Amino acid sequence: MEKIKANLIEHIKTSFVTAKETDFDGNRLDFLVDKQCIPSILTYLKDRLGYVHLTHITCVDWLEENEFELIYIVWSPEEKVKVFIRTRIDREKPVIANIDMIWPQAHTYEREFRELYGIQFEGLVAPDEFILEDWTGPPPMRRDFDTAAYAAETFFERPGREDAQDVRETITKRSGEEIPDFAKKYSR
Amino acid sequence: MINDKSSQKIVDIIQNWARKQSIWVLAYGTGCGAIEIPPTMTSRYDAERLGVRGAATPRQADVLLITGYLTTKTLKRVIRVYEQMQDPKYVIGFGSCTINGGMYYDSYNTIKVLDKYLPVDVYINGCMPRPESVLSGFGKLQELISEGKANGAQEYKDNLEWYRANQKRIIPNWVMPDYNW
Repeated sequence: MEKIKANLIEHIKTSFVTAKETDFDGNRLDFLVDKQCIPSILTYLKDRLGYVHLTHITCVDWLEENEFELIYIVWSPEEKVKVFIRTRIDREKPVIANIDMIWPQAHTYEREFRELYGIQFEGLVAPDEFILEDWTGPPPMRRDFDTAAYAAETFFERPGREDAQDVRETITKRSGEEIPDFAKKYSR
Repeated sequence: MINDKSSQKIVDIIQNWARKQSIWVLAYGTGCGAIEIPPTMTSRYDAERLGVRGAATPRQADVLLITGYLTTKTLKRVIRVYEQMQDPKYVIGFGSCTINGGMYYDSYNTIKVLDKYLPVDVYINGCMPRPESVLSGFGKLQELISEGKANGAQEYKDNLEWYRANQKRIIPNWVMPDYNW
């Protein structure tokens, strides 16, 4: 396993000089690359190194750093190694290359990101609506979109929920256990 | 003789008795509550002995069973299904989500209070309600029918404008046929 991973790191670093690797335990390997490299590194992995399976594409909203992070997870059934290709894109103008000619299933992910995060994929040909219907608000999965406020303003509310007690505090009082500091901010 | 008040009362009693004995249910099972329908219908709880059976299409159904949360997108379809059903028709709201939003109270695309959009005759609370409470909900509906109090469909007709205004608030692109029966 270590040999395979070292070999892979060497291959990637020779072709993509700017790629920064992080080696995780087990069969996971992680590369941070520029967004221009995404189609070429994925093609390289698929065609040359045998990473033929696109497991997942996911998006992380780094609101504080004003960036989106896109993570492409690819898998090689022969080498049994999972490779994470991650890239950062600007949150104000989120544009990245479309990769649905490499893996057709990426099309669905890209439509989802376009609708839920507002990321534009260059050359993506698809209808505007994907899951949401008649949506006029901002992309709802962005972290600065306040779902609770939106729901309160859009939908009717039945009275009686606003005085809901904090169950966590009641339980800790009863059992004498303390709430850890990191959990306190989630208490109401 | 037919317009006589007392004989109409007898006709109503017989009619309501017949209606309550055969409830054909159209389960709109897009929420998680749909998982409680198979045990309710099959041999363990056997709702069929109470006259509760599944119907294949909206036009053959008496009860629209809404199992759990409705998104703004499914609400549109539910309204359409409800308006296709023929009288007598009733709606059962099933699970906490139809009552006050349940665990989806702060979601951006699920409605919280079902009875603002459709006339609900009986609510079954719980997350999830067990088959016992589903049966008790059906029992309550049968009770209301035999007393002649389950007239949500009539309310819907009378207050159609109010319901429409609420529905159009969250379905801006309204492309549905008119409700005219």
